[in-house]
Formats: sequence, structure tokens, C-alpha cells
Amino acid sequence: MQQPATTALLRAATSTFESLVLLFPEPLAIEGAEFLPIAAAVDVAYGGAQTGRVAVAVTAGVLPALAENMLGAAAAPDGQLQRDALGELANVVTGNVLPLVHGAAAVFRLAAPVAAIPGPFHPRAGERQVAMVRLQMDEGEALLALFEQDGGAAPDDSGAGAARVAAAAA
Amino acid sequence: MTLNVLVVDDSAVMRAMIRRTLSLSGIALGEVFEAANGVEALQRLGDHWVDLALLDVNMPVMDGEELLSRIRASEEWRALAVIIVSTESSDTRLARLRAHGVEIVHKPFTPEQLRNTILQVTGLTHAAASNDSASSSGDFDF
Repeated sequence: MQQPATTALLRAATSTFESLVLLFPEPLAIEGAEFLPIAAAVDVAYGGAQTGRVAVAVTAGVLPALAENMLGAAAAPDGQLQRDALGELANVVTGNVLPLVHGAAAVFRLAAPVAAIPGPFHPRAGERQVAMVRLQMDEGEALLALFEQDGGAAPDDSGAGAARVAAAAA
Repeated sequence: MTLNVLVVDDSAVMRAMIRRTLSLSGIALGEVFEAANGVEALQRLGDHWVDLALLDVNMPVMDGEELLSRIRASEEWRALAVIIVSTESSDTRLARLRAHGVEIVHKPFTPEQLRNTILQVTGLTHAAASNDSASSSGDFDF
């Protein structure tokens, strides 16, 4: 069953944070929010039934926690491993949100995660933002957004206030 | 008995996580080999005896679906126990993969899901697959 895009992104993100990295987030409002500085961000591009990308950004406290929990490390792994862990988290979120948005019959091919610098939350030329969620956990915050190319099948509920979020997250 | 396992995933972090999950699963492991894509995986299979392969789907150079086709087309490896460990959710693609006689563990996964699927594809009982240091209760400290 297809879900509205924001609900799907929230579900995929929450499940992935909980199961993959053992962090337990709560959703936060986006409207009127003041965001903490972003420590790292990645994009996972995809093609197939639709073309787009999922962007994931985290604040400083979340980044080492991802790698520590995924690897079971006693101390924070180095910066590269921390970014790799963020990339894998983004990859799993992407793989889980697409069938929720587009249905289980749709076939997608995911690209490798790439660092998104500067802030990933501005739609690029030809893109529209179709969902954004903000999560809070003990270690900090995470922002996730789903962008798709104009002209394809359009998931609904693109977030109002996205421009303000984009400006704050950049 | 111990299992030699090949973990194929382009993410070094995911390979490390799967290796860690395997070590926590209570399954008696022999050697655990790693490969970052299908080409490397075929090299490992050629160099080492492997009882079980855990394959990602989306990988550069040679993806998991092509790798699986090569394995099943090979006289030497066609009976290899294979589990797909992937974010792949497309019914279409999953049906193609299952047609090759594999089981699928969806990311994110729990140690229990991975262990139960390993027992399923290898045909081992929990007792036969367990190592001495693992809890016999089936619980995990993860």
C-alpha cells in the first residue's frame, strides 16, 4: 500500500535508526524550527520507476553514535568510518522508503551514497521536494528529505515550509 | 560443525556489521571472507571453500543479481547456500532472486532474523550450528 510521502519517510527513517543503529528518534516539527548545525550529510540517488534522491543530515552528536553502534566499537571510529556509517544508513532508508511511496512492484536502482556539501536540502534544478522529516534523539538531530525529478509520478504532501528548512539546514 | 561464510557488500561498514552480527548469532563460524562486489566474490569462491554466501544486491562492478546468476550457473557452486541481505523491496526483483533458490533478509535486520534464515538455508538445527560460547537460550546480547 502506498503511503503519503512524509509518513513513508518518517516510517522508513525511524525503523532504520532503531534497527540498524540502535538509536531511538522522535519526530520534531519542521515549521518554525531552529536547527542545530549539521555535521555531515549524504545523498543517495536512485533511478528506475522514478528518479530522485534521499538526503540525510545529522548533527555532531549523532554522527559518531551511528558508527559506534553499527560496529559495536568501544570508542568512536575515525571520521571516514563515521561518514560511511551515515551513508549506509541513508542507503537503507532509501531502499525502504521507495516501495512505501511508489509501491512494491516498482523497481529502483540505488547509487552509492555520496557526501552532500554544502547543505543537501535545497531542491536542485528539475527537482521537487516531496517529503522532509526531522528527528530528535538523545545524541542530537537528523534531517531527511526525499527529492524527485519533476515530470514523474508525484507523491503528495510536499512539505510546506521546505524553503525555510532548506535555508536553515544549509 | 562450523560454517565458512562469504559476506559480499560494497559497504565496508555493512560488512563489518554483518560480521559482528554473525559473531553474536551463536552460529559456529569457521572463516568469514569478505568481498566488495561480485567480481571479488567470485575470486573468493575460487580461492576458498565457502558454505554460505550473504549477498547485497546493489553493488558496483557486478551486482548481487548477476553474481547469483553466475553462482547458480556454475557446476561447482550451484548448490551454495545463499542469503540476500539487502534493502531491495521490489516484488518484481525479489521474485527473480527467489527463483534462484535464495532466502532474503531485509535491511535493517535483527540478529535473530539473520540466524533463523541461516538455519533455514543451511538446513542446520540450532544445536548443530551453535558454538560453545553461545547462549543455548536463543537470546542475544546485541
